[in-house]
Formats: sequence, structure tokens, C-alpha cells
Amino acid sequence: MLASSVQRSKPPPYPSKARSALIRRTVVVVLVLVALTMVTIAFRSPTSGALHGLQGAGSTALRPFQIAATRVAQPFRDAYDYLSSLSGLKSENARLKRQYEKVREQAIANRALAVQAEQYKRLLHFEQQRTYPSAYRTVNTGVISYPSGPFAHSLTIAAGSSSGVRRNAPVVSGYGLVGIVSDVAPDTAVVRLLTDPSTYVAAFDLQTRVHGMLHTGTGGTLVLDQVQKQLNVKKRDVLVTAGTSNAQFPDLYPYGIPIGRVSNVGAEDTAEYLQVQVQPFANISSLDAVGVLVPKKSGR
Amino acid sequence: MTLGDGVKAAALIFVAAIVQVSIFSQLHVFGAVPDVLLVSLVAFALLRGSVAGAIGGFVAGLLVDTASLGTLGLTSLVLTLAGYWIGRYGETTGRDRAHAPYLSVAVVTVLYQFGLLVVHFVLAENAPAGAVVRSLVPAIVLNLILTGPLYALVRRLLRPVDRAELSAEVQLLG
Repeated sequence: MLASSVQRSKPPPYPSKARSALIRRTVVVVLVLVALTMVTIAFRSPTSGALHGLQGAGSTALRPFQIAATRVAQPFRDAYDYLSSLSGLKSENARLKRQYEKVREQAIANRALAVQAEQYKRLLHFEQQRTYPSAYRTVNTGVISYPSGPFAHSLTIAAGSSSGVRRNAPVVSGYGLVGIVSDVAPDTAVVRLLTDPSTYVAAFDLQTRVHGMLHTGTGGTLVLDQVQKQLNVKKRDVLVTAGTSNAQFPDLYPYGIPIGRVSNVGAEDTAEYLQVQVQPFANISSLDAVGVLVPKKSGR
Repeated sequence: MTLGDGVKAAALIFVAAIVQVSIFSQLHVFGAVPDVLLVSLVAFALLRGSVAGAIGGFVAGLLVDTASLGTLGLTSLVLTLAGYWIGRYGETTGRDRAHAPYLSVAVVTVLYQFGLLVVHFVLAENAPAGAVVRSLVPAIVLNLILTGPLYALVRRLLRPVDRAELSAEVQLLG
């Protein structure tokens, strides 16, 4: 049975096989050639010719359908635009916030600079006053650190020995005396303020010509000490540095630097001296720029 | 392909071309434009074979070039070849394979973009290769998103024909 040959039916021929392939290829080739011809014609005469006219007519015929499609899609497009603009608004909002922060920082920096500029201006004005000690020049500089607490009465300035600043040099603001240089580094210096308990300044009342010693009294207020009871020191009198009265013992502060104004005068029966309270001209707690008085001649 | 099929196919291509030119061409997502016409053509060519695909591509291109007043024949040339190639794929290796529409759309998107780029370049028109390359991946993704629903729609509109009718050249075994 197995050996016997079985006559298989011959598969039906594909009569259209070759013809179908030929038709298919012919169709594609014809379409490609037509397309290439159209491209060539359109490319050679893009704005005129029969093909251009046909294209225009076709475009006009298609226009209503396009308009209809656009109108149908308009609500969806509006919704899409709205959503995309929302995401755009979020990013724009974030960008504007960053920009605002930058501008705000810039504005604060500008305000700080303006305050400092005002103090430099006052310093310049101070230098041009008649009372300015002519034997000195001023090293104007900025304050780089402030008193760190109620018990600290010094600040650091951005000028040191390389700028001519020396120890015990008087320091002024645009309004008056601030303190004295207590320590010097090449590019910085420490200023001991008037409010420091160890600071003593020989002062002179311009109105009454009374001399006294200015220092910090109890409670942190400045007092003019060693003023005899019988002397007529009055409220609102102006105090300046007394300067050197004995050439053998030159004073650290030259004559005529404004210190402050008498704010209160009191006398106790048992006390030997008057109690003269002084309000300094310089606002010690908010200094941005100061001037260090440096002798013009280096002999001092 | 019957007369009814022809009418349906013509309507499909016409609507797809109008929708593409009027709506989708303005929809830029990550620099790419979803191509509803190309995806419809791929679906049509897979279901109806290479000759129908080539004719469909030619007509679709002609409609696009006419509606957009572009260089007449340019899109036709590229879409004719695309329709023919996808039709052949559908007739041969792509038959009855679920991934065929997605694979076809992905490959044709790339070939279509580069085909247009080459033709524009040859005609000394603006051919920004960098922009085409950058928008390629988003374009593929967008077209693949469209493929599922559009293929289902076209398949519902044009019921699949007997495979033997599609190609006499490839003999079905088993």
C-alpha cells in the first residue's frame, strides 16, 4: 500500500499570477511617473500653467470641506489651546516668580548701597567742614561686621594697615565721632566704639567751654564726667573733642570732632560733679561707612 | 474590490486628507504633527493590497497637495510608494499578524518623513533635516497612538477580503 504510488491531484495553476504582478507593477510605475511628471511641471511653472489652474480650482473646490472641518474641530482646538496655555501659564508663573525674587534681591541691594552712599556723602561733607582737623586725612571704608551682641562694642572695617590705618586712630561717621581703632590687620581693622566702657574721650562744650571726660556710664548711656557743679552746662549743648591741651601729652583725638549733644543735666547733693548725659551724633547701631582719621605726616 | 468598497475607500481617503490638512496639520505636539492620513492609508493598504494602496496613496497625496497648494505630485509620489510597499507587506509577511499595523505605521512614518525630505532637497526647497530628525520619535509615537482606533475603524469600514484575492503571486499554504 505504501509502496504503491498515489496519484496526487495537480495543484490548480495560478492563471492570474503573472498577469497580476504585471498589472500591479504597471499601476505603480504609471502612478509614480504621473506624480513625477506633475512634480516636474509644477516645479518648472509654479505660478502659471494649466496644472496650476487645475490645482487652484481643486483647492477652491476643497475649501468648503476644509472650512467645515475647521469649524467642527474648533471647540476641540479651543479646549486644547486652553489646556496648553494653562501649562504655559504655570511655567510662566514660575519664571516670573524667579524673576521677582531676583529683582527683589537687587532692590534690597540697591537700597543698602543707597544707605551706604548717603553715609559716604555725609563723610565727604564732614571732611569739608571747618572743624575737620587739617593735619589729618580720612580713609573712608565700609563696615564689614557689626557688634555681635549687647556686650560687644566694636566693629570691623574693611581697611587696615595697607590703607594707612593705625592703632588708636579716631574713627568718625558723617555725623561725628564713632570710636577709635583698637586693632589693625593688613586689610581690616577693629574699631572700639564710643559705647565701650573702656573708651574715654576728652570732650569740650562749645557753648560753655567746659571740659570733661566722656565715657559710658551706668545703663550704657554716655556721660560727660568731671564737670564741676557750679559750671553752667545746659541741655542741647554741643560737645566736641577737646584735643591736645598739653603738647607733652598729645591726645588721641584731635580738637573739634563733633561728639554729641547734652541730653540731660542733673546734680545730686552728695555728688561732687554734675551728671551730664550725652546723646551721640553718630548712630552707633547702624553704621555702614566710616572714616578713619590718619595723620598726614607719619611722625605721629 | 467592489464598487461599494471603492466608494468607501474614496470617502475614507478624502475625509482623512481634509481632516489632516485642516485640523491635524496645525496640531504640533513636541515638534511633531500626528498624521491621520498616513495611518489611514497604512490601514487601507494592509486591508486592500498593494495596488489599492498605491492608488490610495496617489489620490491622498494629490488631495493634500491641492488643498495646501503645495508642489503638485510631491506628496503623491511619496504616498504612492508608501501605499504600495505597505500593501505588499500586507499581502505577504504581514498578513494576519496583530502587530502588522503598528510596525507598518512606525516604519512608514520614518520612510515618509525622510522621503519627503529627500524630494524637497532634490527640488532645492527648504529641507530641514535636523528638525525632521528631532520630530521623528514624537511623530512615531503620535502615529502609533492613532493606529489602534484608526485601524479598527478602517477594518470595520472595509471588511478584510479573502487573502487569495489580494495576491495571486503568494500561494497560501495550510
